Amino acid sequence: MKLAILGAGPGGYVAAIKAAQLGAQVTVIEETEVGGTCLNWGCIPTKSLAASSEMLAKLRQSEDFGIELKGEIIPNLSKIIERKNKIVNTQVKGIRGLFKSWGITLKEGRGVLQSPSEIEVTLKDGSKETTTADKIIIATGSRPSQIPAFPFDGDRIISSNDAINLTDIPKSLLIVGAGVIGCEFACIFKELGSEVSIIEMLPRAVATEDIEISEQLERELKKKKIKLYTNVKVEKVDVKDDGVHAWLTDGKETVAEKTLVSIGRAFNSNGIGLERIGINKDIRGEIIVNEKMETNVPGIYAIGDVIGGLLLAHVASKEGITAAKNVMGGDERIDYSVVPAGIFTSPEIGSVGLREHQAAEKGIKVRTGHFQFRTLAKAHIMGEISGFFKIVSEETTDRILGVHIIGPHASDLIHEAAIAIKKGLKTKDIAETIHAHPTLSEGLMEAADDVHGEAIHIIKR
Amino acid sequence: MNPDDLKYHKEHTWIKVSGRKATVGITDYAQNALGDIVYIDLPEVDMDFEINSEIGEIESTKATSSIIAPLTGRVIEVNEDLSESPEIINEDPYGKGWIAILEIDDISELDDMMDSSEYEKYVEEEAK
Repeated sequence: MKLAILGAGPGGYVAAIKAAQLGAQVTVIEETEVGGTCLNWGCIPTKSLAASSEMLAKLRQSEDFGIELKGEIIPNLSKIIERKNKIVNTQVKGIRGLFKSWGITLKEGRGVLQSPSEIEVTLKDGSKETTTADKIIIATGSRPSQIPAFPFDGDRIISSNDAINLTDIPKSLLIVGAGVIGCEFACIFKELGSEVSIIEMLPRAVATEDIEISEQLERELKKKKIKLYTNVKVEKVDVKDDGVHAWLTDGKETVAEKTLVSIGRAFNSNGIGLERIGINKDIRGEIIVNEKMETNVPGIYAIGDVIGGLLLAHVASKEGITAAKNVMGGDERIDYSVVPAGIFTSPEIGSVGLREHQAAEKGIKVRTGHFQFRTLAKAHIMGEISGFFKIVSEETTDRILGVHIIGPHASDLIHEAAIAIKKGLKTKDIAETIHAHPTLSEGLMEAADDVHGEAIHIIKR
Repeated sequence: MNPDDLKYHKEHTWIKVSGRKATVGITDYAQNALGDIVYIDLPEVDMDFEINSEIGEIESTKATSSIIAPLTGRVIEVNEDLSESPEIINEDPYGKGWIAILEIDDISELDDMMDSSEYEKYVEEEAK
């Protein structure tokens, strides 16, 4: 089996390794760098920056921990970026090493489909060659959405791709869009010292999360003095000498040194030959696939951001594994019912399963349980007491349908819930399992007990 | 211990009436029960509210707790100092720790509030 994969992001590279493990002869074509958006411009760089800003926050809290620091604490953004680049490079080398060990060929250049079995690759030196394959997986990903009202110039009007490589901390930053990316950067740059405002056209920040999570995040942003304006759109931006001016639909005008536009992602489905071989796309350009990751053209699969849906690295990887197994004769179907996700704001958010309002929309009667981090000794020990655990369970069966956590290490804490939901466990199952003390994980046990009004560390209501 | 010139509400807020205006805060009992206050979500100026509705929230190291309106009215001023230093409420709940100034809608609602000695008895009962 000769398999060619277009794109080496977390979808493509994982598919490559899986297919190689199953015995395929794999060629991966990558235009930029292995690891794709996730490793080079997304997950990893932003979390690396967030780690530096968290370190800064911790240092600023040092006196509370009984440690006196002498002198000034000064963040140096170019060194923060250097550290980020080092982390990224280590991971890039790691993927290249894995490719080598599994005998995967990496062709660095832009690939364009010529037929269902041929890809023309324009290599970095401009020369062209053709890769032939029995089957093809398209994993070309996505990029920051750009609309004419906000023309990126890489300096004053920037995308998330630029924001991870700024070397000077902007005095002020206007962020358009209070989704995951906008809120993460807001927390990072605020801690570094920028004045930060966020404009969101929807009624709430991180609008895909549970409503209570949005409310808590909004409060945390407020505590940090990040200004959030919801239900407002930016009509126009203009770069002037004193900064980027933005005119809002409520009549206000704002000025900031830089404007970061994070209004969504666009699919990389143009200019790669899809039309030539007749692959069906949806209205926003995402490639249409079935549960087996097959496109309408036999032998051609698509995975990751380019197929739309949940634009998450770990979802892309799972789709990659599914596609690879099917390429090798399997009959795998993707299951999106349990997808945990982390948002690396400060504090973090972790969520999995149904939001309370989604359950209501589906007509499911639910109970909820809550537990505050500030009730946990461990949270006080860590000096991070904001946030809560929330469990949504089905009233009739007690089965856990969704868990939503905002607080320290929420993105790690969510996985106990992911397994619980995947296995159809009840809140009683979590409540009756001994959780170690003193840990943050105790919070999920208490929230599970709170579903039945039985939490130990909540005062009688 | 609770000042005599104030009126008290069962949800542990106090008011100081001056004409149709009332300054509102939380009582010493409330701040003590909450412990170290770390954040206050202040009401917004011009916000209309009903008696017994939530007009804000207080976070302490122990708990988060709603601020319940002792009467019906409108917010005309809030104590902005609290957003920087919410611990003022712990230090001086009846003075510098005031939360907002309200315009009273229905003056008769004041009749249902407690005076300082009634409130002290009420708190003693709650503590039992």
